[in-house]
Parts: sequence; C-alpha cells; structure tokens
Amino acid sequence: MIRRLSIVVAIAAFGLIFASLAISYTEQQSLRPLAESYVRRVPQELGAPNIITGILLTYRAFDTLGEVAVLFMVAASVGLVLGAGHPPRSVSSEDRPDEAWPSSEIVQSGAQILVPLISIFAAYIIMNGHLSAGGGFQGGAVIASCVLLMLLAYPQYQPNLEFLSIAESMAGALFVLAGIAGLIVAGSFLDTRILPLGQFGAFFSAGTIPVLSVLLGVKVGCELSVILDGFRP
Amino acid sequence: MISSIVLTTGLLLILIGSWGILTHRNILRIIISFSLMGTGTHIIIVAIGYVKNGTAPIIDRTLDLSEATSRVVDPIPSALVVTAIVIGMAVTAVMLAYTIRLYDSKKTLSIDAFTESKW
Amino acid sequence: MIESIGSLLVLLGAIFHFSAGLGMLRMPDAYTRMQAGTKASTLGNALVLAGLAIYHPGWGLKLFIIVYFVLMTNPVSSHALARAAHGIRIPMAGDTDIDALRDAQRKAGGSM
Repeated sequence: MIRRLSIVVAIAAFGLIFASLAISYTEQQSLRPLAESYVRRVPQELGAPNIITGILLTYRAFDTLGEVAVLFMVAASVGLVLGAGHPPRSVSSEDRPDEAWPSSEIVQSGAQILVPLISIFAAYIIMNGHLSAGGGFQGGAVIASCVLLMLLAYPQYQPNLEFLSIAESMAGALFVLAGIAGLIVAGSFLDTRILPLGQFGAFFSAGTIPVLSVLLGVKVGCELSVILDGFRP
Repeated sequence: MISSIVLTTGLLLILIGSWGILTHRNILRIIISFSLMGTGTHIIIVAIGYVKNGTAPIIDRTLDLSEATSRVVDPIPSALVVTAIVIGMAVTAVMLAYTIRLYDSKKTLSIDAFTESKW
Repeated sequence: MIESIGSLLVLLGAIFHFSAGLGMLRMPDAYTRMQAGTKASTLGNALVLAGLAIYHPGWGLKLFIIVYFVLMTNPVSSHALARAAHGIRIPMAGDTDIDALRDAQRKAGGSM
C-alpha cells in the first residue's frame, strides 16, 4: 500500500517536471554555433557528404573508440555470465524439442532467400557510410541479424566462435593502429588525413572514414554474433 | 510544432518506462521497461536537434553544398544517439544474461524471490 | 484529389496498426496475440507505404521493394516465434481443442 502510494507520487513528480520541460521548449530557428561550424567544416576538410558519419569518425572519434571498448567489455561479460563451461541447465532435454526436431520448412526456405540479401544489404550500409545514411554500427547490427537468422533456421549451425573472436579483436586493434598512424603521419590521434581525401562524393574518398566504417562494422557484427551465440540453450 | 510533439512522446515513453520498472514483478517486464525508457531518451535527444524547416544533414542531389548551413537540422544529437542505441542494446544483452542465471538459481522469474540484497 | 486517396490509404493503414496493438492487448493467449500482431501490422505497413507511393510517384519502385521485403520477413519471423512458443508448451486458450502441430509431431515421431 505504501509502496504503491510512493510509486504514484514519484511518477506524478516526474510528470510535473517533464510537463514543465515540454511547455517551455521552443524550436530552434537556426543552427547553434558549434553545429554550424561542424556542418561547414565537414565537407571542406574531410570531403564526406554524410555529416553525421564525418563527425562520428573524426571530430568525435575518441568517443567512438570508447564505445568500441564498451562493446568489447559487454561481449566479455556476457560470455563470462553465460559460458563458464556450460553447467547443467534447468530445462531437461526432452523439453527442448529444437534439439529433437529440425526447424520448420518455412523458416528454412525463408532463410535461403533472405541470408544473401541481408548480407548484401549489410555490406551496402557499411560501405556507403560516408556517402549517404549508414555507417559502421548500423551495418554491424544487420550482420548480426543475418547470423541470428542462420541460428534460427538451422539449429545445428555452429558459427566458428574462434574466427569471430579473432576477427573482432583484429578489427579493434586495427582501429587503434589507424589512430596511432594518424599520430605519426598526420596531425593528431585518429586523424583521417593519412589517406588522401579524394574527390567529393566518390567511393574512395574522405580519408580513412570508409576504412574505419568497415572496421567498426566487422567489430560490431562479430561481437553481436558472439553474444547471440551465447544465448543458445 | 512537430518537434514539440516528438518531445512530448519521448517524455511520455520515459514516464511509462519508469512506471513499468517500479510496478512489475516479472524480471522480463522490467527489462522491457528499461528498453522503453532508453528509446524515450533517444527520441528526446533527436527532437532537441530539430531546426525549423530543416532537412537531413547529408549532402546529395537534393541538398547543395552552399545552402547546407541554412537548411540542415543539427547533426550532433543524431551522432550521439547512434552511439547510445548500440550501447543500450548491449546493456539489454547483459541484463538478459543475468536473468538466465537468476532463473537457473531460483527457478522463478519474480523479483520478490531475490531478497539477498535487501536490508 | 489523388492526394486525398493517398491520405485515405495512410489513415486505413494507421487503423490497422491500431487494431494490431489492440488485438495484442485483448487476445486470450500467446498464439492469438502473435496472429493479431503480425497479420494486422503487415497489412498496415503495406497500406501506409502504398499511400506514400501516391504522394511521391517517383519512389514507387523502392516502396514496392520495401513492401516485398516486409511481406517476406514478417510472416517467417512470426512463424518461428509461434513454433518456439509451442515447443516450450505455452498453454493455449481454454476452448481450443485442435492442435495440428502436436498431432503432426506425434504422427511423425511415432513412425520414426
């Protein structure tokens, strides 16, 4: 009783604060100074038409490196909590019919059509990160959804976990090496001018942004696949 | 106008998510409420960056280079939200892993059964 | 005139989406809830994108491809979910007395 009352009081207090925030909000008429300087400088200095990917991989590249570290820690902690030598699970094996029965024909047929399309789409999103909407994180999530479809359609499918772990670690290490190369060759850590800027809007342009997008996509995709594989019974 | 609607939706989602965390007793529903709260926060951050009559900050056929600074929305909140979405999903994965271990130890998904941390 | 047809299609799609949400709340057990969620929301998707295609005729081919992908993936995923729910023996609603999957599995398992 007292708990329900305190929940109602807490939610009502939050509601009052949010209402005051929502009422006093006015739309911006023009860009703030920092945003305007980013929008002006990204096409000039980096040669990338996609301003958001340009910000994420040059001006805020250190935050992206921090997120790469957070994802690695999450994959390690999920592996620690769920792996640990596979102790006996609570569901006995006659209640787990996905080991006794194969998956249904509809899911297998759907997987045969969809897995190539999803893979091509993931590669397209990653490679076009600097030209139009897309980028490393988005493409990595689509790669993981492709692996999930394979796990659902073919229950005997064992993704090669060692290869995924090695690919993920190599991608992360290459990311940091690209940053150190920027420190040695160009101006600062994770500077994107170590590769030529190229022509605006061409496929190979904008310095290291496509290369970093590919590394990010491979890393996120392998990481999420390892996490998804740890959830199997 | 439209960013006010989106902002109110995000704030409502945060309210519903926090009510769900406080009220539900099933662990899976608490995890879904956490995910709702995260989605509400992302919506609010993107809504703050809206500029009146702005368009997406991508320079292509429809948006020329010279008029970019006067017609785009703020790109910085979108860049922050891209990072936040991936981290929110990773935290949900850790929560689900803990749920599996908790279920293995006590055979129930009700959070009232786990009282070791209460004083 | 043409745009009002497009707006009508988008409104119809929104009504189907709303009925999908309403069905997921009010249906008795997990299987009927999955059916309500998938069928109504897939049709709602198709109608909204068709209404959008009337507003922007240049996007017609891309929107058609999107509808094709939605039609291919939504039913497959809901089918996999329903089979998994049946596999861990989620109980059906009270007055259901036909279980075709259990009969088929019993027949196939008995002959194996």
